[in-house]
Amino acid sequence: MDIELIKFMFMLTVISLYFNVAISLYGVVAKANLVKKLIALTIFQDTVNMFTILVGYKLWRPGLILQPPVLTDLSPTSETIKEFVERSVDPLPQAFVLTAIVIGLAVTLFLTTIVLHVSYHFKTVNVDEISKSKRVYIHEEAV
Amino acid sequence: MRDIVFMSLLVVIILALTYLTYSGGLGDLPPQDIRVIARNYLNLTYNQEISWLWAASPEAVTAIVWDYRGLDTLFETVVFYGAILAALTLFRSISKIPEFVSSAGLSLIVKRVTAIVTLAILTVAASTALHGHLTPGGGFQGGAIASVAPLLLLVVFGKQFFIERKITYSKLLSLRNISLVLLGLNSVALVILGFLIGVGGFVFQNQAKAVSVLSYPSYLLDVPLGGSLFFFNLFEFLAVASGFTLVFTILLSRDDTLRKELEGEELGY
Repeated sequence: MDIELIKFMFMLTVISLYFNVAISLYGVVAKANLVKKLIALTIFQDTVNMFTILVGYKLWRPGLILQPPVLTDLSPTSETIKEFVERSVDPLPQAFVLTAIVIGLAVTLFLTTIVLHVSYHFKTVNVDEISKSKRVYIHEEAV
Repeated sequence: MRDIVFMSLLVVIILALTYLTYSGGLGDLPPQDIRVIARNYLNLTYNQEISWLWAASPEAVTAIVWDYRGLDTLFETVVFYGAILAALTLFRSISKIPEFVSSAGLSLIVKRVTAIVTLAILTVAASTALHGHLTPGGGFQGGAIASVAPLLLLVVFGKQFFIERKITYSKLLSLRNISLVLLGLNSVALVILGFLIGVGGFVFQNQAKAVSVLSYPSYLLDVPLGGSLFFFNLFEFLAVASGFTLVFTILLSRDDTLRKELEGEELGY
């Protein structure tokens, strides 16, 4: 494959990730429904994870065989390790993302329980209605 | 009107980021080569010739997660622990209500298929977690895979299935807490051992260093064990799997039980 084409596609991927970030931020801020906010937040999480993985990418060149950062030879010589370092992709972003995904899942579960609480308590998940009903409640108390 | 302003702001942000990226804000894109620090990690992770800096694991990602940057991961585990704990605290009294549900579950066909698939899921999860130091995978991933199995069982067989087999809330909570304590102990094991026998040791020490002779075993028979990495993966696997199972059990409770808990006292919250 042509190197220029790869570069163009890479740039296109980065920019589409920016679009994804913008759209999910719009969802988090502008949507009134808490469930929609939550979905937008998970999209945001995944986009950032994807971006982090992309940072560890290594440009393919003719004659270069890329491999994951796992050494397959269990009794390596110094040549094997040298070749492994040349061929392997960056392991650091992968290490960051793998914990981020699980913690993201835990945080999502926590937010889900909160949304469940809110929906039972206020009988709605729309933040505008919730703030309105709160205002009425406070007004009634004052009177 | 507010929407239009907001959307145009987003468009401006996208255009600005695109311009910055295009003019080289992220450096040469795509990267021609990996960073120096990554080269160092890859070079050291299973290099027996530099054995005072190795992690005894051919898998560079696990070596970074639990050895080179182990302290980071410990604190990430604390965040995970806190998030699950917070979710459970919001439903704390449900755990004490014994649930008498007699759900027949789904049809026989679904049940048989689920039984077979569950075995496969648990096998894959155990393999991912226990081979985390040899192949791509580890405790986090294995635990996340394993937690799908109880979720499936809860939906297909009903909650009764768990109650009959005495898999209770408190047992799962104990399993989670014990594995997290063991995970913490694992990180200071060599310090304690060094203190007892009068040799210096470090927190998160895996293999012997130039200034400390203490070391976890590097091999089990002739297979690389990765020293402490294997144990970290095992305990993390148990903690993640039981933690997610707990939250799933709570979230799949009966509707009126949940409602009763959430409505609170007469005066609300």
